[in-house]
Amino acid sequence: MSKKVVIPGELISAERKKLGSNVFVADGKIYSKVLGVIDDTDEQASVVALEGKYSPRADDVVIGVVTRVVFAGYGISLNSAADSFIPSKAVRDQLRIGDVIMAKVDRVNELKEADLAYPRRLIGGEVIEIVPVRSPRLIGKNGSMLELLRKGTGSELVVGKNGRVWARNGNIDLLKKIVAFIEANAYKSNLTNALQDYFGITISEKVAEKSAESESLPRQDGTSEQEESEVINYSNEGEFK
Amino acid sequence: MSKMDEVVDYKKTKKRLDGRKMDELRPLSIKVGVIPNADGSAYLEWGQNKVYAAVYGPREALPKHTQNPYKAVVKVNYRMTTFSVPERKRPGPNRRDHEISKVLGEALDRAIFTENFPNTEIGVFVEVADSNAGSRVACLVAASCALADAGIPMRGLVSAVGVGKAFNEIVLDLNKDEEDAPDAVDTPLAIIPNSGEIVLLQMDGLLTRKEWDDVAKMGIKGCMQVYEVQKKALADRFQFEELSKASVEKAVLGNEVSKKEIVGKEVSASKQVKVVSKEKKEDKSKKVRK
Repeated sequence: MSKKVVIPGELISAERKKLGSNVFVADGKIYSKVLGVIDDTDEQASVVALEGKYSPRADDVVIGVVTRVVFAGYGISLNSAADSFIPSKAVRDQLRIGDVIMAKVDRVNELKEADLAYPRRLIGGEVIEIVPVRSPRLIGKNGSMLELLRKGTGSELVVGKNGRVWARNGNIDLLKKIVAFIEANAYKSNLTNALQDYFGITISEKVAEKSAESESLPRQDGTSEQEESEVINYSNEGEFK
Repeated sequence: MSKMDEVVDYKKTKKRLDGRKMDELRPLSIKVGVIPNADGSAYLEWGQNKVYAAVYGPREALPKHTQNPYKAVVKVNYRMTTFSVPERKRPGPNRRDHEISKVLGEALDRAIFTENFPNTEIGVFVEVADSNAGSRVACLVAASCALADAGIPMRGLVSAVGVGKAFNEIVLDLNKDEEDAPDAVDTPLAIIPNSGEIVLLQMDGLLTRKEWDDVAKMGIKGCMQVYEVQKKALADRFQFEELSKASVEKAVLGNEVSKKEIVGKEVSASKQVKVVSKEKKEDKSKKVRK
């Protein structure tokens, strides 16, 4: 697998292949749409973006901030082009402007407006913002990086696909530095191992076995449901403990 | 400085007023990611031209009547600072600013996949800090780099250059002295290099058919030179190729440098370290209980 930084309009492959993310076809050839890293395999040509705003997708776990309160519900900023709306009925407790919530994207319409499901208020803690397209690296393969961060800093963590990280307790100062480090080096390989050495922790065998299979960037579409369920499960633990 | 009074003929001198060859660009350098609060940004120096470009969005288009439910609207804001020209420029947007904003917006619109972002706007703000002819092409080059830096999907970068005729010869990348020549023809030209599509073409003056062919040829060649600089500016920030090819050790070593930094700060805040260890213990005890 060739790894190379490409700019918009740069040739990815002259062969016919399945189209992955961030590519387009012109004259039968495959070109990159964005500034990113080539992820070109035998079956599929795709590009992992290095920069970019969040664009909602069904089943994403996101962290939203309440920006508007009306009788019928709440306007939620998702760090994307369009705000979302949650009806009052859907949430148990009353929200106020500035409250942080976590939710799953249920559906996205043709105007890229997201319907949110399972909204849950996150009490206390802090929100760290990063470049949204690099957030999969914070989760890692099968949630390995997330687990490492949780153990290493002792924080409760939720990573939203929209480039927001919510953290509570533990060594948040350290966490912020590590998150910034991961963000800055998201396109480099061997990140998980290096951090494992730093923390002196080996992540649980089950996760480690899986993550050892590949050291490459997790694909943007390829971030499996497993990762997301990991996030959800964890927060369940935190809430109903 | 001005040599307007003398009779200059490039056909005789074989060299331009600033010593360049006929098809030589002024020195061009681009730096990407210079404005932290913008989604994407670029700073460009091209001869005496100095230009900043900042990109915001895609974001909700406001006022609402500007929204288009089928595509994103590209809103370009071209402005010159008051000190960018010899005589102070009045700061308000004038007729020329509006015109350039419009043509730059249309040029960039062709390159962007606007249909991916319905009801949104992509705000491009280009500010000319210093100018010496060819500022609109400089802005276009900077703006397209800033768009790529913002991660906006595009068909390709937009590369642009000024071409034309001055002192009886076809020249590339005219400077102010050449633009003010008695027989000057200025032709800003912008293309999307990988498709060869022309997205901006203006002409100020008259050319024969033969001259025009030469101008177009020279302009497209110039654009390709500009494209190489743009490509380098965008990709070079990510020291990636070497790292990926380098051994695992090298990657770890790179991490170790920043690790030291983190460790140093951690030690100075000794309280935090204690907190961490407590948390770790708690974590372990939790695991045991389970």
